[in-house]
Amino acid sequence: MPCERKPMRYGHSEGQTDVCFDDAGKYVVTCGSDGDVRIWEGLDDDDPKSISVGEKAYSFALKNGKLVTATANNTVQIHTFPEGEPDGILTRFTTHATHVTYNSSGSRVAAGSSDFMVKIVEVSDSSQQKTLRGHTAPVLSVSFDPKDELLASASCDGSVVVWEIEEQTQVISWPLLQKSNDVVNSKSLCRLAWQPRVAKLLAVPVETTVQLYQRDSWALVSTLSEDFGTQAINVVAWSPCGKFLATGSIGGLLTVWDVESKLCVERQKHEKGYTVCGLAWHPSGTQIAYTDTEGCLGLLDGLSSSSSPIVAAKSAKPAPASYDDLFDDNDNDRPMDEGVSETGSPTKNPDALDDEDDDDLVPATGRARNRSAFLDDENSLDTGSLKLGLDKLGDYDDDAGSAIVAPVVPPPLRPVYEGPMPTTPQKAFQSGSTPAHLMHRFMMWNSVGIVRGYNDDRDNAIDVEFHDTAVHHAMHLTNSLGHTLADLSHEAVLLACPGTDELASKLQCLHFSSWDTSKEWMVDLPSGEDARALCLGLGWAAVATSTLMLRLFSIGGVQRELFSLPGPVVSMAGHGEQLLIVYHRGTGFDGDQALGVQLLQFGRKRQQVIHGEPLPLSRKSHLSWLGFTAEGTPCFIDSEGVVRLLNRSLGNTWTPACNTRDHCKGKSDHYWVVGVHENPQQLRCIPCKGSRYPPTLPRPAVAVLPFKLPLCQTTTEKGQMEEQYWRSVLLQNHFGFLSSSGYEIDEEGQSQAQKEQQELLMKMFALSCKLEREFRCVELAELMTQNVVTLAIRYASRSRRMVLAQRLSELALEKAGQLQGEGPEEEEEPLQYTRRNPGIQKKSQDTEVHGEEEEEEDEGHGIQMDEGDAAESRRQRLNPFAKGSPASPEKPSPKPVIKEGRVNPFKLSGGTGRSSIGGQPRTTNVLDSMTSSSRKPTVLMGSSISGGKPSKTAVLKPLTPRPRSKTQSTLLHMSASKEPCKKPAEERESSVDRLKPTEEPLPIASPADNVENTKPKTGFQLWLEENRKLILADNPDLDETDVIKEAMGRFRILSADDRLSWTERAKGDAVDVKKRKRAEESQKSGPNDSEENSAKKQKPSDTSAKLSAFAFNKN
Amino acid sequence: MDPSEVEFLAEKELVKIIPNFSLDKIYLIGGDIGPFNPGMPVEVPVWLALNLKQRQKCRIVQPDWMDVAKLEEIRELERKEATFTPVPSLYYMELTKLLLNHASDNIPKADEIRTLVKDIWDTRIAKLRLSADSFISQQEAHAKLDNLTLMEINTTRSFLLNSLNCMYKLRSNLQPGSSTGKAQDY
Repeated sequence: MPCERKPMRYGHSEGQTDVCFDDAGKYVVTCGSDGDVRIWEGLDDDDPKSISVGEKAYSFALKNGKLVTATANNTVQIHTFPEGEPDGILTRFTTHATHVTYNSSGSRVAAGSSDFMVKIVEVSDSSQQKTLRGHTAPVLSVSFDPKDELLASASCDGSVVVWEIEEQTQVISWPLLQKSNDVVNSKSLCRLAWQPRVAKLLAVPVETTVQLYQRDSWALVSTLSEDFGTQAINVVAWSPCGKFLATGSIGGLLTVWDVESKLCVERQKHEKGYTVCGLAWHPSGTQIAYTDTEGCLGLLDGLSSSSSPIVAAKSAKPAPASYDDLFDDNDNDRPMDEGVSETGSPTKNPDALDDEDDDDLVPATGRARNRSAFLDDENSLDTGSLKLGLDKLGDYDDDAGSAIVAPVVPPPLRPVYEGPMPTTPQKAFQSGSTPAHLMHRFMMWNSVGIVRGYNDDRDNAIDVEFHDTAVHHAMHLTNSLGHTLADLSHEAVLLACPGTDELASKLQCLHFSSWDTSKEWMVDLPSGEDARALCLGLGWAAVATSTLMLRLFSIGGVQRELFSLPGPVVSMAGHGEQLLIVYHRGTGFDGDQALGVQLLQFGRKRQQVIHGEPLPLSRKSHLSWLGFTAEGTPCFIDSEGVVRLLNRSLGNTWTPACNTRDHCKGKSDHYWVVGVHENPQQLRCIPCKGSRYPPTLPRPAVAVLPFKLPLCQTTTEKGQMEEQYWRSVLLQNHFGFLSSSGYEIDEEGQSQAQKEQQELLMKMFALSCKLEREFRCVELAELMTQNVVTLAIRYASRSRRMVLAQRLSELALEKAGQLQGEGPEEEEEPLQYTRRNPGIQKKSQDTEVHGEEEEEEDEGHGIQMDEGDAAESRRQRLNPFAKGSPASPEKPSPKPVIKEGRVNPFKLSGGTGRSSIGGQPRTTNVLDSMTSSSRKPTVLMGSSISGGKPSKTAVLKPLTPRPRSKTQSTLLHMSASKEPCKKPAEERESSVDRLKPTEEPLPIASPADNVENTKPKTGFQLWLEENRKLILADNPDLDETDVIKEAMGRFRILSADDRLSWTERAKGDAVDVKKRKRAEESQKSGPNDSEENSAKKQKPSDTSAKLSAFAFNKN
Repeated sequence: MDPSEVEFLAEKELVKIIPNFSLDKIYLIGGDIGPFNPGMPVEVPVWLALNLKQRQKCRIVQPDWMDVAKLEEIRELERKEATFTPVPSLYYMELTKLLLNHASDNIPKADEIRTLVKDIWDTRIAKLRLSADSFISQQEAHAKLDNLTLMEINTTRSFLLNSLNCMYKLRSNLQPGSSTGKAQDY
């Protein structure tokens, strides 16, 4: 028979509580950490009488109209009951007492204290004290033997001790409990209890079990344990009849045991699962009062009266005794029994019922647990289980319900639904905002600015602040409407408040960029419709509402389209003409959210780009940020910190690009993302120590995290380069999207990214070559652009991999063919952008003079660089190259042949025989230039950005001509892509025409370049030209690199004035230089020199230089 | 050396600011600065930070060590140790003064920080005086002091040198004998 669990009452403030009934059972008495003792006339008593006993009351005991309390002032006091008059102090401790209890007659009180002592005091004469010393830690609980001879106590030192009261000696001590240093840290309160009346057994809660010890023999008689009790038992209490034992656990589980049969006869769960810390039986044995650590009082009513079990016990005493032995094994050893029995019991059901009708006792029917479990199923209708004989049972319960004896009271073994549990769907939120319940919160933090909301007693206001004060000055608004949602763009601030009973949900827009005088508009949503999420785009605003509606407004306040959403919105984001919506697609299970995503594009051709596909979140996580990168790629972050970007070039898939949790130091630290940038690759976020959200004060500072694709083995060189390559590819996607949707794109950045990719490919190619992975080489080559393949072929042939070179040349041909074929179609396939070859033109140019010259120049710079900082990298890579260098193998393509005869513009006076040493450095330099340039990407970037005014920087830094020339050299295969920049008019032309226009600008572009390059740019170069000979004469065995190094050293030694003069000279135009040189040349004589001169003259024979020289010669 | 000169030297220290304007990299003799993105922290020299702050073009982010908890720790250590402990920044005093005078609105608990830094300063100066005292009283020829900052040295330099000179004169006058003999002693 199940008891009734009454709803709980709030009794005390949170903390340790205790409960008992008065002697007559008329009142329930509780005490709590608020220092009050409350006397309830019943659970329904709305006005309990309160006695204030102190600052805090830890424990109390009540008997014979005397209320003994253990309070925070380290005393044990007496109050009269129920009047509540103070009646003196019984005893004192050095710290507070933890537990007080009466003996059965009420003549003595035992109190255990945190100062390790237990005191026993006569109530009538408090001078009669006995002190029990021996515990080495605070005492948890004390309990009098009903016969008044012994006292049991439990302590934080882990021991449970039985004392002889008169002798004040320990009878026995068991080390049963877990040790702790204080009551508050103890796992369990370990309230001991002696069996009343007979005093035969001592119940000790030990972890999840209750151990029963026999008096005198002090043997462990039995252990009451539940197979599925996982929570430590806090308190135990014997029923007044001594037959049942009630236990309350940390997890709020209340269990009543029949001690004789060791059966669980009743089980109830605390309605909120709080820790039960006080437990008391009604003197009649029909009710159990309990209190929890949250200060609530509860009551279990309708427990079978104590009389019937006694009767039952009497009548059935002989039988259960024997059966008990039988079942012992089952109960203890078969945790799996439950499942089996649950299914098995229905068949046994009729027998069981018959037995009961015959008034037989439960144990006699065998498998008592099973059956009671089954009965419970039927009684608790809420479980909804359907079983055989349900009707019959129901009838039976109705007629015979109250007649059933207590042991039959079914333990609530409910069939628990063990399948996947639905997740509570996450609430709608604005990404970039902190939770709405905070008094001071960020309502929005994005790339434009910050909207802060204050909602405290003094102020209800909104602060809008812009990162760039050029956008608008900061604003302060009073938030009279109670806005909770906000978004911010370069044009407007959008605010929305939820509706109340009287007022509709409102949308307010501060359109500060409006050119007329009214900068604000407001719209009421229809009644019953609440704004849930909002966002701003370029010229529009969108609001998702509680009625699954999405409303679009123009930024000026004109209502535009509206459409229905497939589910409740989670978040929205806008960027330019794109709108990204995430909503609940359905119910998620086991902690997962089931979210769907839509991406719409307004603008000229309105279309839905993503049609409600599932949003791939990490397991058991929810969406925490949704938005666009600054470049317009949709992006989201889940609560696990994984940042995912939309990969438009792979069918709109989502690629994880970073895990912010990897960067967190502590487990509870988080990064709160405020923006994502693809160019430069930055994840802007705010580090939050120990929380998910930053506080508004002190003002948090933004940190920048790098992206990192979770590729395998990123510790190896190969993995690293692969990660870099694919990251670069992924984050370059936006260029294609932007150009296809008609935006201006950062050409420089794009070519930079492409170059970086090609460099990485080449490096990976070299690595695979070294590892003898030729197949992999070909695979990598397939990713390369045409002209990088050419480099790869050369590399392969130099390193004597003829098979590879052969295959690569086939591949190159194929690629060339593809390009030819693809050209006309490119227009129709805007998504082809990722592989737009910057070097398409190279091939066609190769036969032309200009093309050759340009390449020659590149070579020259390659060498120069090589001489500079690539020297060490060359040393590393020498082996593969060295193999190829001595022999000049068969040329798979015509291009290398042409290049073979190239001359180096910097080797003007290279008297040491250019041809002999020329071969080796040149083979290396092409690749070295790539590696070295990529090694210093920052330098590169800086100088290339400032490329607009190169001469200026060159003058400013006469000593470091290298960065400048490096830019040039690393633009190796960029030269072609640079041309379109220079001719923006032709840029938009179809790629069919591409070959043509690019040929045209070349003559224009290359002279310009050539002038820049051949003309000694800096003072150092000038100086070098003059002094090379000198250096060579001094050190004839120096090679090219060392010459430059030496020269650098010497140049630095020069006085500042000298250097300045060289710089000045460098500033002079090319003609000047030429003139001077000619003068020098004329000074020289001899056949050798004249030969050299002729070579020299050929050297700067770039068209432009020639032309300019010619022009001045004429004069 | 004038304290203002020391302060001038301190102004080349880098400090993080959050600009509210957008500007490309600027190229200065001392190095490149920027680029400036609104809302993004960037490191600039103190002189520039203060200039921008005065024009309300940025917010200054306090250096890591300018934090009440950290300074308290340093103060306790400084008080405990008999010798000079390493300071958070070689220009801690100057930076504190500069930043707190010009950007106290950007630095939470500015007053506490000011007090703490002053405490540290006082403790260190007291130590310095004490060591100077023992140096003179024991008539030592040389002493080594670690972890002193420029400003601290500067406060004591002129006085200490002058007084040492004076004492030298007095002592050489006291003892009969030629000044050359004295010179050999030192």
